[in-house]
Amino acid sequence: MVKKTSDDIKNTLKGVDVVEISYTERGYHLAIEAQKENIVSIVEFFDKKSFYLADLCCVDYVDYLELVYFFNNHKEPCRVKVTLKVEPDKPSAPTISHIYTIAHWYEREIHEFFGVYFEGHPHLVYLFLHDAIDIYPLRKKQVSVTEDDKKLLSSFKPEEFEDGFFINLGPQHPSTHGVLRVVVKMDGEYIVSAEPVLGYLHRMHEKMAENRSYVQFLPNPPRMDYLGALNFNLGHVTTIEKLCNIEVPERAQYIRTITAELNRISSHLLWVGAFVADLGGLTPFLYTFQDREHILDILEGITGSRLTYCYFRFGGLYNDVDDAFIDATKQFIKHLRGRFGMYEKLVTKNVIFINRVKGIGVLEPGITTKYGCSGPVIRSTGIPFDIRKVEPYAAYDKIDFEIPVGATGDNMDRYMIRIREMEISLNIIEKAIEKLPSGPFKAEKVPKKLKPPKGDVYHAVESPRGELGVYIVSDESDTPYRMKWRVPSYSNLMTFPYLAEGELISDAIATLGSYDLVIPEIDR
Amino acid sequence: MNDIIQIIGQETVKVIIGLIGVLILVVVNALMLTWLERKVSAHIQRRIGPKEVGPYGLLQPIVDGIKLLGKEILTPANVDRPLYYLAPVLIFIPVLVSFVVIPFDTCLQVKDINVGILVILAFSSLSVLSILLAGWGSNNKYSLIGSLRSVAQNIAYEIPLLLSILPVIFMTNSLSLKDIVEVQREGWFIWKWQFFAFLIYFIAGLAETNRTPFDLPEAESELVAGYITEYSGMRFALFFLAEYTSIMIISAVATVFFLGGYLGPILPGFVWFFIKTYFLVFVIMWFRWTFPRVRFDQLLNFSWKILIPAAFINLLVTGGLLKL
Repeated sequence: MVKKTSDDIKNTLKGVDVVEISYTERGYHLAIEAQKENIVSIVEFFDKKSFYLADLCCVDYVDYLELVYFFNNHKEPCRVKVTLKVEPDKPSAPTISHIYTIAHWYEREIHEFFGVYFEGHPHLVYLFLHDAIDIYPLRKKQVSVTEDDKKLLSSFKPEEFEDGFFINLGPQHPSTHGVLRVVVKMDGEYIVSAEPVLGYLHRMHEKMAENRSYVQFLPNPPRMDYLGALNFNLGHVTTIEKLCNIEVPERAQYIRTITAELNRISSHLLWVGAFVADLGGLTPFLYTFQDREHILDILEGITGSRLTYCYFRFGGLYNDVDDAFIDATKQFIKHLRGRFGMYEKLVTKNVIFINRVKGIGVLEPGITTKYGCSGPVIRSTGIPFDIRKVEPYAAYDKIDFEIPVGATGDNMDRYMIRIREMEISLNIIEKAIEKLPSGPFKAEKVPKKLKPPKGDVYHAVESPRGELGVYIVSDESDTPYRMKWRVPSYSNLMTFPYLAEGELISDAIATLGSYDLVIPEIDR
Repeated sequence: MNDIIQIIGQETVKVIIGLIGVLILVVVNALMLTWLERKVSAHIQRRIGPKEVGPYGLLQPIVDGIKLLGKEILTPANVDRPLYYLAPVLIFIPVLVSFVVIPFDTCLQVKDINVGILVILAFSSLSVLSILLAGWGSNNKYSLIGSLRSVAQNIAYEIPLLLSILPVIFMTNSLSLKDIVEVQREGWFIWKWQFFAFLIYFIAGLAETNRTPFDLPEAESELVAGYITEYSGMRFALFFLAEYTSIMIISAVATVFFLGGYLGPILPGFVWFFIKTYFLVFVIMWFRWTFPRVRFDQLLNFSWKILIPAAFINLLVTGGLLKL
């Protein structure tokens, strides 16, 4: 795939240099240096080959700004890094938002953080920040916002229109789990258009990362996604291990797998309850919370915390697991397997529930590349894309498991996939416990002060919501030069305006619930 | 004293005492139902529910009532004041009047009117007016959508409600609730051919009282709290009490029409009446904590395409059989 793509690019696009990169070291296969003249045609090429835009970020090298586009393919992993250099004074680049819809948000994000002006972008306003901020926060040297930009940066103000009205779903609304605001243009009960407004929980984790050492940043990722904390922790740790080339002992890998899967189950359990609560059934919420409590107790025993775990360390774990953990986990597997039958009777087979979710919010497989969706959202369309399988990390390559896929891509499929995933996670945990080797749980000789070699690395893990990618640029100092988080809910949420259009408000809320959104993760 | 009674008439005094009794009953009953709902929901959800205030938390609703009375009555800016103030008061009157004609026992009835059921149906339709007032007066989009949903829902479900009790009236030849109960000494109507009518009545009644799975007017995940979004304190409490009282009325009418009212062995009549009514109330609560909510178009389709034709068929069959 990699070779074929490389040849394809060379044949199709004249004058473009493709460099093959060591995947094990850098986390991507190909690197392309683009120019302003040919960036659009390169992106169009990837669009035609049905690649998706995994990430788009910017790095400030003081002398120049570098836009980094990451492309990947859902069928076979072929990560391509495309870079585009732009000048630091009045930086501008051509937009690719007409090719990839998700680029709308990525470009808005880069515009507010770096001041890069994207020519042709239809709606270049702030995404996260409020308009009183007068510097570009992620630039290495302080650059104040120009007057021209200030005009652009007014926050979202909906226009009034006849025969309808606007509704703000959020930031204080029972259906948005967290502080998401969706401005919905309504015609009676039908939605004309919906626009998510982000930034109510923006904490600038990426800037924080640049100001503290790698170890000091450890507690931050779990706070981005409080439901899949261990998976975010894992994403952070594995990326830096890749960057510094640290070998992790076998036992640690297995324990990472077990705890990350436990965390996935707890996240999915909460989602099932919250999703049914969105549809008006309040009781399953309490039932799933009761089951989730067991996981919290188990993880509390080894990590010390109940929600925002910080358990993994560079090269291993914080501490080893004991027999009590193994016994409790085994008992929990038995307990939860017995509960699935109850959930099936109470929720899955409920006629009202089926009528509310079946055939609603249908996402066609063809458009998923435009949005870069991942996780259960893309698997519901029938594409078996799971980072655990295509780019295995921890001990996932040593354990056999299947990936559930849907058929139609509706809300019912997204529900069923998460239920199936919980069952599969239980199998993974069971197998991992069987195979759990003895030995050290920590790599030896990991320096206390990490100073990774110069270079960049991209690494992705499968969080409960989808592909979580971390892009780190290191300059040999003990703090990262730039750390970009590619978060799954961000690109999943982008499909909401598309799916909500023309739907009833009740259905749109069901669809919004089906994404399993965690707002701090989107806002970072 | 006797003179006063002589002047205003014995019948009037009886009605006044009855009305006061009904008022007390309505308030105490609504308070009890809030307690019951909390207990039922708690046990369904594997919780304990209120237990601190009084035995089994029985005094909890009273304490809650005091809390709500003591709250500052907030009036949001830009509301339509007359309508906003009127709605919570107006919603309480129809449900209160409906109790007047309900026979709790052979001689425990405020007034036996020969068109009793018409009074109940007419007044229960009025409650939708105050919901509309609340929704319009609140100057809030959620409230407005909620109240408009409520109007559509009430119109759609009043027809099956009416059609489902008509067969019973055919069979008894009376609109008086007491007569309907007395006829059932030979057997409750739920077992005498009218089981489907009971089902239709019960489903339509659920929708009339805006209860899950038909709680669209106050669908909290969509409309925050629907038409009561902008209400707080005692005004909110009045809506709350009215909701529980209308549940009581729907259950009471079902008891009278299908479950033989106060008839039953050994125990006194009114005990039987309350056992049957509270059982239905419990079932309504049970529904609420089990089912998700239907969608608006599904709700209307269900009424117009399924319930109303079914009720008509039931009516035709009953009429035909009676003629034979």
